[in-house]
Amino acid sequence: MERLPNPILNGLARRQFLQNTGAGVGMAALGHLLGQEVGSVQAETSSAAQQGAAGLPELPHFPPRAKRVIVMWQGGGPSHVDLFDEKPLLVEKKGQDIPDSVRGSTRLSTMSSGYAKWPCQPAIKPFQSYGQSGLRLSSMLPNLGTLADDLCLVRSMHTEAVNHAPGVTFFMTGSQIPGRPSMGAWLTYGLGSESENLPAFVVMTSSDKGKTCGQLFYDYYWGSGFLPSRHQGVRFQNTGDLVPYLANPNGLDAAVRREMLDNLASLNQQHLADVHDPEIETRIAQYEMAFRMQTSVPDLVDFSDETAATLERYGPDVMNKGTYANNCLVARRLLERGVRFVQLMHAGWDQHSNLFTQLEGQCRDTDAPSAALIQDLKERGLLEDTLVVWGGEFGRTPFGQGDPVNPKGRDHFGRAFSWLLSGAGIEGGRTVGATDEFGWNITERPIHVHDMQATLLQLCGIDHTRLTYRYQGRQFRLTDVHGELVTEILG
Amino acid sequence: MFRCRNLIAWSHPWRFHFWKPIAWATFLAITLPCWEVLVGVPLTLAQQDSNSNTGDAAQTEPARQTVDFNRDIRPILAENCFYCHGQDANQRQADLRLDQRDAAIEMMAIVPGDLQESQLMQRIISDDPDLLMPPATSNRHLSEEQKEILRQWIQQGAEYEVHWAFQNPTRPALPEVREETWCRTPIDRFVLSQLESISLAPSLEAERTTLIKRLYADLIGLPPSPEQVRSFVADPDPLAYEKLVDQLLDDPHYGERMALPWLDAARYADSNGFQQDGDHWQWIWRDQLVRLLNENQPFDEFTIWQLAGDLLPDATEQQKIASGFNRNHMLNGEGGAIAEEQRWVNLFDRVDTTATTWLGLTMACAQCHDHKYDPITQTEYYQFLDAFNRVPERGVPRYYSSRIRLDDPVLELPTEENSQRIAELEKQLQQHQEILNQATENAFEGWLAAIPQSDQAALQHAVYAEAKPEVLEIVSTAVEQRSAMQQEQLRTFLRQYFDQKVVGGLSKLSGLNDRNRVRDQLNGYRADQIPRVMVMSDGQPRETHRLDRGQYLSPLEKVQFGTPAFLPPLTEAAAGGNRLDLARWLVSDQHPLTARVQVNRMWQYFFGQGLVKTSEDFGVQSSFPLHRELLDWLAVEFRQQGWDVKAVQRQILLSATYRQDSHVSAAAAQRDPANEYFSRAARIRMPAMILRDWALAASGLLNGDMGGAPVYPYQPDNVWESLAITKERDFTYPESSGAQLYRRSLYSFWRRTVGPANMFDSSNRQTCRVRAPITSTPLHALTTLNDPTWVEAARHLAGTTLLQHRSEGSEQAFDYRAAIRAAIFQVLCRPAAEQEVEKLLTSFERWTEKYQQQADQASELLNVGASEREPAIPQAEHAAMTVTCLTILNLDEALTRE
Repeated sequence: MERLPNPILNGLARRQFLQNTGAGVGMAALGHLLGQEVGSVQAETSSAAQQGAAGLPELPHFPPRAKRVIVMWQGGGPSHVDLFDEKPLLVEKKGQDIPDSVRGSTRLSTMSSGYAKWPCQPAIKPFQSYGQSGLRLSSMLPNLGTLADDLCLVRSMHTEAVNHAPGVTFFMTGSQIPGRPSMGAWLTYGLGSESENLPAFVVMTSSDKGKTCGQLFYDYYWGSGFLPSRHQGVRFQNTGDLVPYLANPNGLDAAVRREMLDNLASLNQQHLADVHDPEIETRIAQYEMAFRMQTSVPDLVDFSDETAATLERYGPDVMNKGTYANNCLVARRLLERGVRFVQLMHAGWDQHSNLFTQLEGQCRDTDAPSAALIQDLKERGLLEDTLVVWGGEFGRTPFGQGDPVNPKGRDHFGRAFSWLLSGAGIEGGRTVGATDEFGWNITERPIHVHDMQATLLQLCGIDHTRLTYRYQGRQFRLTDVHGELVTEILG
Repeated sequence: MFRCRNLIAWSHPWRFHFWKPIAWATFLAITLPCWEVLVGVPLTLAQQDSNSNTGDAAQTEPARQTVDFNRDIRPILAENCFYCHGQDANQRQADLRLDQRDAAIEMMAIVPGDLQESQLMQRIISDDPDLLMPPATSNRHLSEEQKEILRQWIQQGAEYEVHWAFQNPTRPALPEVREETWCRTPIDRFVLSQLESISLAPSLEAERTTLIKRLYADLIGLPPSPEQVRSFVADPDPLAYEKLVDQLLDDPHYGERMALPWLDAARYADSNGFQQDGDHWQWIWRDQLVRLLNENQPFDEFTIWQLAGDLLPDATEQQKIASGFNRNHMLNGEGGAIAEEQRWVNLFDRVDTTATTWLGLTMACAQCHDHKYDPITQTEYYQFLDAFNRVPERGVPRYYSSRIRLDDPVLELPTEENSQRIAELEKQLQQHQEILNQATENAFEGWLAAIPQSDQAALQHAVYAEAKPEVLEIVSTAVEQRSAMQQEQLRTFLRQYFDQKVVGGLSKLSGLNDRNRVRDQLNGYRADQIPRVMVMSDGQPRETHRLDRGQYLSPLEKVQFGTPAFLPPLTEAAAGGNRLDLARWLVSDQHPLTARVQVNRMWQYFFGQGLVKTSEDFGVQSSFPLHRELLDWLAVEFRQQGWDVKAVQRQILLSATYRQDSHVSAAAAQRDPANEYFSRAARIRMPAMILRDWALAASGLLNGDMGGAPVYPYQPDNVWESLAITKERDFTYPESSGAQLYRRSLYSFWRRTVGPANMFDSSNRQTCRVRAPITSTPLHALTTLNDPTWVEAARHLAGTTLLQHRSEGSEQAFDYRAAIRAAIFQVLCRPAAEQEVEKLLTSFERWTEKYQQQADQASELLNVGASEREPAIPQAEHAAMTVTCLTILNLDEALTRE
């Protein structure tokens, strides 16, 4: 690899830091701050490979297939019938009602639950075969298509949620009601951090160009719930400082800041000698890490070391902050630097009334960056131990929404929808699960939210029933009391 | 989830299974000899949590002599056994329950005094993985110490006790102590007796400078001025400390400080959450809370107001407002949201919040099934919920304006300003209406003149197309032959036609635009500007049903209001009652939980951890309090003092325990590392809200105005960026200006979807929280180092202290050493040590030199923040002193209540 050696993974840099602090920061305090197991920090000098060991001593429960996770969240509910789950019958029966026998008593949002007509609405663009495996995907996803043989297409996802926020919250936290720890928080709580200069759990947000979606991103999508708040995702902002308050105040440069921190460390050290509270040691380490973050974070968005070919791969928006493309490239750089969990939150898949005008553009804006990120990981040898997740909170109705004769969109649909998985040794070029010929009911291997969560944790070396936290007198876990492993995904 | 699958498959009833010869042989061969060794193990080691990820610190307690079920046994059974062998019948395996002695004995799981016959004992020591309990798949594991203490318990007769927290507390006798002179209040005797049991001496009393800083931090959340510190330190009155306590308990800022934990419990925020995230007016409830806390409303009355003020006979406006406590939950107004589903979400939240806040019970666990640990059945959960299921609400918020969204019921509270503005607009409206009326009349006459009204040809006119025959007849009648009544009838017809079909098309009528504009203005003003606080009401009684697995679409049998059977019964009159009865029941003298839960949170507030560490849970899974007698003493005291909050707080504040130093001695570090014995005062990183207030106050920027609509202090430009993708409203952060920038953090607008960026480690104000974990991350450090709030405070502090220390005879020269000393005093509330000053002064001089050479940098730094800079101070010195003060504000001592 011609890239600069990762300073974070470089033991020398770390030792320099510790010498430079002048205050003699205890390793224990540092490890505590980083959410690292202290032992792993100490072991670092003997073997760099031992880094990233568990946050909890008993974790991982078994050798992980994924050391890091990238969630490319596609908020709003990407249409499975348009993109992933080809249904010739919908073409044949276009405009005809989906039979009652198929619909049953499916709970729908109040936007369509009162409908009298349920006209079949075929995919707006044809599907095509991709890769050696011949995976059938929409022709609107040509770039993801080139990676078909690396993709596992899951066609039998289902959820109880009928609306966005509960649906997203369900996937992220295991409960539709806000307040539980998110998956990234669970993972960093359990597994700790691999990076000393960066947060272990980073979130970035973006939206479709027309901002047609109206879906908001709430901080409980990456919250720590009742876990210690240091496990909550750090959201990078699209304007101003990447992290709040990252930059020094105007007129206060790095040299002044360094001297200021030296004074702080020294005065705090004196206080420690007086009151003997080990928390003061933590405080000293906390300020030192903040200082280092001030240089390591801006470096993430400095793309000057990226080749033109790489930048081109992410599409025309790559240099524009706050776009999905830009976030995808930052995500790759985060993953390379040892960040354990990156959660990209992209909105724009909520085509109630603009299916024919917006979906194609939305695909165009997300297809290349998504594929570029996977391709980059693959070329760097990171895909094999990185878990890649592409999906949203539900799918969309196989019937058209709006005027039954001339529908304009599709409503939310949690009964069946599709996700893409890649990396982490998951066999690509294949599908898991299936739906009926209307794309309405799951006919093969239903996969509930909790099942997917259990499976994702399993890939990270975690038995989902054993990663628990006691709160309010009860052992809580991401999958509540549910979740069955999907062996079809695990292989 | 663990299930004892092999158990079900192999052995039913359970007891027959144990007699496998192999198991016995193994047991005798391996286990018996070990017991000889194990007997000597201190019993209380059994308290150590075998599950390392519980979040609770391991306890280190001294040896105890006899087994106490509540202290020693129940925690082991609850943690390891009750999940499958507890009270939830649906979850119960092998028909065995271990939470009831009779049942356990009947199944021979326990044979009192007989270890060999007690299958519980045999199963937990079995080396046959198919027999071992808890099963390997359960992720539970008993330590040798735990097995030993269970053995002793069975040998001693396996007595059960009702869970301690479910028995009504009685006032315990004060324990005997050796060092009586140390004790200032009864509290100290309880603390000291425990300390003496581990031969650890309490810490010395803290210095007066520490005490005054501590009291100010705890009681009002603001620093004392240097004069206040000096005068307290010098006060010769032996009751100086008591005087200070009383003064601070009476300070109006007391209510602001004490409101913070209650706001966390009440999941208070200034918006609904979710898409659109509508704002609301619950700050009216918040202002009242501050007032009630300052007035020291007795907690029983306070409880009744918060939970059921609206149901009091002839409820006053204030009582109704107080009931807003249970309307502070989130409201989901997303497009397509199912109102009834959301209403249930809100109902569950009310039950959860009420149970956590008053009962210290995790009732939410019984929403879908019987509680796994505590004796709360699912039916009882819905009986409790029934009291909250009568609110005439929709479940989703209603649109008032692009800013305001509220759900019913609301209490409209027009202000004087509202009434004036509305009267003004109504007057304008009337004026424009009159002009319009006149213009309409004129237009009608003009139009009328052009309408043919006689002869047959007129009948062809479109006006008459749908006219009734009488009208047509009149038109056909010659004008002079028409009666007056007919004339009138025709005119009426034409006027109606005009009003219905013509006037609407006349857009240029004089006054029309003005009338419409003012009308819209008035309606908009009413919707957007009249304060409406969401309150409770029993205006819509509903049938409450138990819900199958908590699913609102799956109602089972109907239930009636009631409270859990293991708690004292409602009075006869209250059976079949309502929320008011529920509130009164909570504060009845027989209730074992309410008083304990409250005094525990008070203790947590002043000592950083509760006597029961799990302050949100007093159920059987709670952590057992080392100072249980102290807890009971305080609870009884609280009740007997008429639920007088300040009186109990005063007792705590006057104790020698509270007055201790917070230094960690070598002995304490060893014997009481987690300070569970309260061998010293707690060092607590102050909450972010108080850190900000502290910085503002110490620098002299604080605006101490109380109450009112939320304000918008500095936030990063992009703080609401993630919301701005909606087109439904403008989510630009409306930063306040002038003095409003420096209000206490309590008054900062709290947007539920995105809390203030600089209020780290706070409760998210989305669900009820009664315990805030304190963490340290680099992001916190970045906040207090770089947030303009702190930088401006540092600049202001630098300016004031410099101006106070001008060198004699010079406008432009200052005594920098004295200024640094003063700044330290302002922030740390104590005189500076010379070496501190020396260190800071050295850097100050270097920085001054630097800023003299880089004047633009000095000027940039001094431009941070909206307040005016003192022009009398040279820029370089001011900038350098700003950095010095920012250093002081970031000292561990400045961030910590010691």
